[in-house]
Amino acid sequence: MQVFFSIGVDALAYGMVLFIISIGLSVTMGLMRVVNLAHGAFAMIGGYIASYAARDLGLGYGFAIILAVIGTIIIAIPLERFLYRRIYGAPELTQVLMTIGITFCVIGLANYVFGPTLKTIPLPADLQGPVNLGFRTIAAHKLFAIGCGVAVALGLWFLIERTSFGVKLRASVDNTAMAASLGVRTRIVYAASFALAVGLAAFGGVIGAELLPVEPYYALRYMVTFLVVVSVGGAGSIPGALIACLLLGAIDTTGRYLVPEYGEFFFYLAVIAIVWVFPRGLLGRAK
Amino acid sequence: MSATDISTSAAPAVHTGRPWQRDLIGIAVILLAAIGGYFLFPDNLALLTRIIAIMLLVLSLDLVTGYCGVATLGHAALFGAGAYAAGIAAVTFGITEPLSMIGIGAIAGAVAGLVSGVVILRGHGLAQLVLSIAVIHLFHEAANKASTYTGGSDGLSGIAPDPLFGLFEFDLWGRTAYAFGIVLLVLVFVLLRILVRSPFGMLCRGIRQDPIRVSAMGASVKASLIKMYVISGAVAGIGGALNAVSTQVVGLDSLSFTNSAEALVMLVLGGAGSLYGAFVGTIVFMWFEHVVSAANPFHWLTIVGALLITVVLFAPKGLYGTAANLAKRFARSRP
Amino acid sequence: MKKLILAAAAAILFSGAAYADVIKIGVVGPFSGPFAIQGKNFKAGIDAYIATHGDKIGNDTIEVLYRDVPQADPAQSKALAQELVVKEHVQYLAGFYFTPDAMAVTPLLQQANVPLVVMNAATSAIVTKSPYVVRTSFTTWQTSAPMAKIARERGVEKAITVVSDYGPGVDAENAFKSTFEKEGGKVVESIRMPLSTNDFSPVMQRVRNSGAQAVFAFLPSGPTTLGFVKAYNENGLKEAGVQFLAPGDLTQESDLPALGDAALGILTTFHYAIAHDSPENRAFVEAARKAIGNPAELSFPSVGAYDGMHVIYKMIEATGGKQDAKKAVDAVKGLAWESPRGPVSIDPETRHITQNIYLREVAKGSDGTYYNKEIKTFEKQPDPGLAPAK
Repeated sequence: MQVFFSIGVDALAYGMVLFIISIGLSVTMGLMRVVNLAHGAFAMIGGYIASYAARDLGLGYGFAIILAVIGTIIIAIPLERFLYRRIYGAPELTQVLMTIGITFCVIGLANYVFGPTLKTIPLPADLQGPVNLGFRTIAAHKLFAIGCGVAVALGLWFLIERTSFGVKLRASVDNTAMAASLGVRTRIVYAASFALAVGLAAFGGVIGAELLPVEPYYALRYMVTFLVVVSVGGAGSIPGALIACLLLGAIDTTGRYLVPEYGEFFFYLAVIAIVWVFPRGLLGRAK
Repeated sequence: MSATDISTSAAPAVHTGRPWQRDLIGIAVILLAAIGGYFLFPDNLALLTRIIAIMLLVLSLDLVTGYCGVATLGHAALFGAGAYAAGIAAVTFGITEPLSMIGIGAIAGAVAGLVSGVVILRGHGLAQLVLSIAVIHLFHEAANKASTYTGGSDGLSGIAPDPLFGLFEFDLWGRTAYAFGIVLLVLVFVLLRILVRSPFGMLCRGIRQDPIRVSAMGASVKASLIKMYVISGAVAGIGGALNAVSTQVVGLDSLSFTNSAEALVMLVLGGAGSLYGAFVGTIVFMWFEHVVSAANPFHWLTIVGALLITVVLFAPKGLYGTAANLAKRFARSRP
Repeated sequence: MKKLILAAAAAILFSGAAYADVIKIGVVGPFSGPFAIQGKNFKAGIDAYIATHGDKIGNDTIEVLYRDVPQADPAQSKALAQELVVKEHVQYLAGFYFTPDAMAVTPLLQQANVPLVVMNAATSAIVTKSPYVVRTSFTTWQTSAPMAKIARERGVEKAITVVSDYGPGVDAENAFKSTFEKEGGKVVESIRMPLSTNDFSPVMQRVRNSGAQAVFAFLPSGPTTLGFVKAYNENGLKEAGVQFLAPGDLTQESDLPALGDAALGILTTFHYAIAHDSPENRAFVEAARKAIGNPAELSFPSVGAYDGMHVIYKMIEATGGKQDAKKAVDAVKGLAWESPRGPVSIDPETRHITQNIYLREVAKGSDGTYYNKEIKTFEKQPDPGLAPAK
């Protein structure tokens, strides 16, 4: 029983970290229909900014997070204006080519500017060290990550389902021409949701840095993981992404605990099994 | 997001003359390029042979992605299966005759194509992409685990192919390997030209454009796609085996996600849906990478990234597709 | 008359040019991609050697050509080596971070008449693949086996091994296990985890449940070590008194600032620490830090590259700049010198480097930086991994 709880806690924490980082990708891929392979690159940029702010400038952790999110969005705005706007509605393979190109550039520049070493984001004292749960200890920052994950999930759900921006976004995505003729300024809606996705990526990059450390190759190293969780959940579905992250987090953690030698087999066989049963992802919209 | 809108549309055939004539011209161009490569870069034959092997992989990917509209990031599984089969045949079972090694590679690639086809074709759109990622990781992990046969992460070394026909040795200068590669490439190209113009090839193009209509016509979509996957596997397997014969070593990277993704990038760069696009994309990407990374081994990735962005902005149908379009427009503007 | 003088001058000039050759050395390594920092260290070591010893041997000038293989890719490595030999006419091949890349090149050497100086790749068997291979780095067996002795000395009865599931990881596991059990200890469990593991918490729970007194770990240096060491602390293993043992790859100096306090007290065995106290090392570190730019990036591959250059210089001296791989390799068999890492020699039989292995503890200096503090020396260690490899 203790083993069960122990795995459960780890799985929850890992799943939530995955969720925070990948949910932005779910927005770009599901709502904006852009296969954005550069998502990891934005998470990495966020991590670098936070690391620079907290470690080199000595700012507080909370301030570093805000700076990372805003800074990444500012960097992303010209990219949206000059590059992404050209590939909205383009064939997916063209989008793949463009976003991989952007990823390569970001990796090369990060390597040049920050060097190839690992960068850490110092945690505040409250988040450091283990917390005793009674039956085992867990890192405090993992509890923090779980909390952030829940907050992000609720906030996004509210934004998309309950606000007028959400209505406009869904309308623009379903039928851009019709939405525009009804007076929705679709370009601005697209730009805003792109900024939202990038901001979430940066936020996730900072919160998840304890598990996925920031270094230049980050952008490609974890790309597959992000792509897998988003697609298994069904792109564009927030509950779907949440369930997928928790499920895959649990499968991964259980596999690593029980049969670490075959952890990789365990994980990907499970992915195949899930997609076999749900060919459009867990909660993907049939088109 | 269904399978249909995934690929770029095929470069429209330029109807200048009869198709067989154009194929002869195509073969002539390949041979000319091959001879030109031999004399212009006599010291780079190892690299040129590697480009040919990867070209076979990209051609094979073009069959399923360009012609059938299946998006996959796991195509190196077929290439790697061919490479490992040829390598294991040589090292463990002592089959070192190059033509047999190529044959074994083709068979292994076809089997890998069947397996991954059955799995990947279950999904659509993104799910399909994810299945292909899962497949390549499973192949990779299996090769890592079977280290008795594959050498695991240390790589399978000690492949020593016999001289070709007992006469031409695979040596340091790589002339034999290069000529062997060119002959294989031309053979495969001819067979694939026949294939893509056959009724079966047309059916596959039809599936890419509208699978529902094709099935309404009474053809089995899935069976055709799996058949194409097996053929594609054989082509990739030949490429893998050629790589094993010419470099005499096989590493886990041949079965990697990176290799698959790079192949896809090369295909889209050249223009999916046309065999020539596959050629152009592979040559441009690999040659560019080679030159830039030799000039600046530390920061070449940025420049490659910039190349990809530029191509999307200025040649959205891929290099060959856009060039073919331009040629057509030019031909039309003249009376 | 004037013409004659000109002709004579030209003759002198040209004959001079014929004697003063450029000798090219081709270095293959990961200069971009996830292992870029290790390639950078190759270059720093080589640059440091050239800066301190000059780029001329007699009348010959040394030129180093770099080729990039970002991740283990034997086919690419072989194609590049072939190009270096055939097109660039390099007389020496060097570098090689990954074992498969080095293995791929060994069949070329005889025909190319080129020696290969391995500056990192750490699988024992490489030197057996060709008589023209010399290695100036270390092997995983060489650095892991002494740790088993340390563990026994410190009274560890039961240990658990946790390694990444790939060649070097398996090597480390075998080296530790066989030595530890020979010394009378017991390895209660051996865990192999996939290279792509991000979350090590479940593994640490297993370590905890195994009841072992010490965990011996091997992961490739880089981002995963950070998560691993943090998981060790956060899951309360440190408090529980489970000793953390590893070869020095885990605490390479370029990762230490990121590991920070979490790494304090970790015991590692390795062939080189930047903090090694000797005049040779101080001179080397100064030159290498200048070469690499950012001093925090300097770590162990640089010393393998530095000593590799030393061996190549000796080879060039012995052959007088002529291309003769056999003579070159024979000349360095048994060569002994004072390296920045301490006294070393090339074993005439295996052509692998015999060197001291140090036990180190991660400590915090007075200036707040972290370093590997050497606390014990195992002198003149050969490679124990070669016997099982054969």
